[in-house]
Amino acid sequence: MTNLIKQIIDDLMKPVFEDLRATPLWIKWVVIVITCAATIPLALIFRSRTSYSDKPKIHFIQNMDNQPKFVSQEPNALFLDGRAMRPKIKGTIAQDGMAGNTHKFMGIIDGAWADTYPPSLTVDRDFIRRGQERFNIYCAPCHGIGGFGDGIIHKRATQLVETGVNGTSWVAPKNLHEEVVREQPVGQLFNSITNGIRTMAAYGSQIPVDDRWAIISYMEALQVSQNANPDSVEGANALPHKDSSNEGSGE
Amino acid sequence: MTQQRFTFPRWTNLALPAIIIVGVTTPLYIAVVVAYGFSPQATDVGYMPEQPIPFSHQLHAGELGLDCRYCHNTVEETAHAAIPPTETCMNCHAQIHPQSENLQPLYESYTTGNPIEWVRVHDLAQYSYFDHSAHVTRGVSCVECHGRVDTMEVVYQKETLSMGWCLQCHRNPDPHVRNPNLVTQLDWGLDMSAAERIADSASWRKLNNLNPSQDCSTCHR
Repeated sequence: MTNLIKQIIDDLMKPVFEDLRATPLWIKWVVIVITCAATIPLALIFRSRTSYSDKPKIHFIQNMDNQPKFVSQEPNALFLDGRAMRPKIKGTIAQDGMAGNTHKFMGIIDGAWADTYPPSLTVDRDFIRRGQERFNIYCAPCHGIGGFGDGIIHKRATQLVETGVNGTSWVAPKNLHEEVVREQPVGQLFNSITNGIRTMAAYGSQIPVDDRWAIISYMEALQVSQNANPDSVEGANALPHKDSSNEGSGE
Repeated sequence: MTQQRFTFPRWTNLALPAIIIVGVTTPLYIAVVVAYGFSPQATDVGYMPEQPIPFSHQLHAGELGLDCRYCHNTVEETAHAAIPPTETCMNCHAQIHPQSENLQPLYESYTTGNPIEWVRVHDLAQYSYFDHSAHVTRGVSCVECHGRVDTMEVVYQKETLSMGWCLQCHRNPDPHVRNPNLVTQLDWGLDMSAAERIADSASWRKLNNLNPSQDCSTCHR
């Protein structure tokens, strides 16, 4: 049976092989070269689908992928500074900006630090929650989640100072539970966040005004958490607690 | 004078099978080249441009755990997730690594006021109007489109960002939605099973009443 099949195939293929043998060499080479060349695009496609490249993207069909307009943060040679987005002109404010409301925008009432939150903001649970979220984003890297001045950037910078890499210097971020910070009026805290203080940079352009006030409300909540008066909790004195007068006596 | 008769050489017998083979493989070949070579998977994905400063997201967002929004702070408010201004870098780098050679463009930018010329990695076609804030505040995490940026030493394009890819999620948003408070936690949910992840996504979608639009005018206007 297998012999029969072999026989049939041989009979069928025999003339084909003879045809092939009679084919001129140049035709064979043309076929070989074209077949090999056809694998090159396939290899290139495989490479571009599987590897990273810093070459600009190629869009074969452009459609309107790139239009003669300027999108956010694009360069524009028309202006001297090369920016398409125009910086705010010095001395201008947005329509909903300050307009005399020094309390909200500077933390100042009648030339003194404000002791209260701006009346346009309601300090409630949601507001403090918002402040917590913002605090964890913008403040916690240095001041730490708990506000003790032990954030991860502080730890990293301390390491870098010890190893003396690239001239790193570092002033430890403030522990927000220190009395000097605790006693500051909210207006002064607002000013520190907005304009920076000592080595801390200004966050006024990075955090919107309302969020800055929210952060302060959360900061105050944090401070209360670390300096709570036991009398504020009902029946707290009935609970077993560490006697602070024994502290340091070696017991 | 008798004209010599022309006889086709023997190898021309192969012409017919050759024509059939070429006729079948060529269209197939072209189809493969167009389908695989012109797709954004080949042209766009894996784009990893060299930046003027070798900024490592792996260090800043991964190891140090800075929130994405510390630098890209407009993402919740506006369509465009801004590349941070030089000032944001200087919040820390005024003190950290001031003599680093890699950071010289930063200090140059800070003293001259000229922006650092960062290279845009994710570049949507300009007839599509994607809004970051609309997605991020509804619980679509950064990771869904940008991949694990917190593990990237150099940022590259992870997804195709093609229209078909967008629609995939708009047609079937689960499991791409999560608690909006967790959008910047790129490693969240990795330990969940697929079914748990879909259930969580569906519950947040229901809670926030999310029904992503598939109208043309949602993205093209």
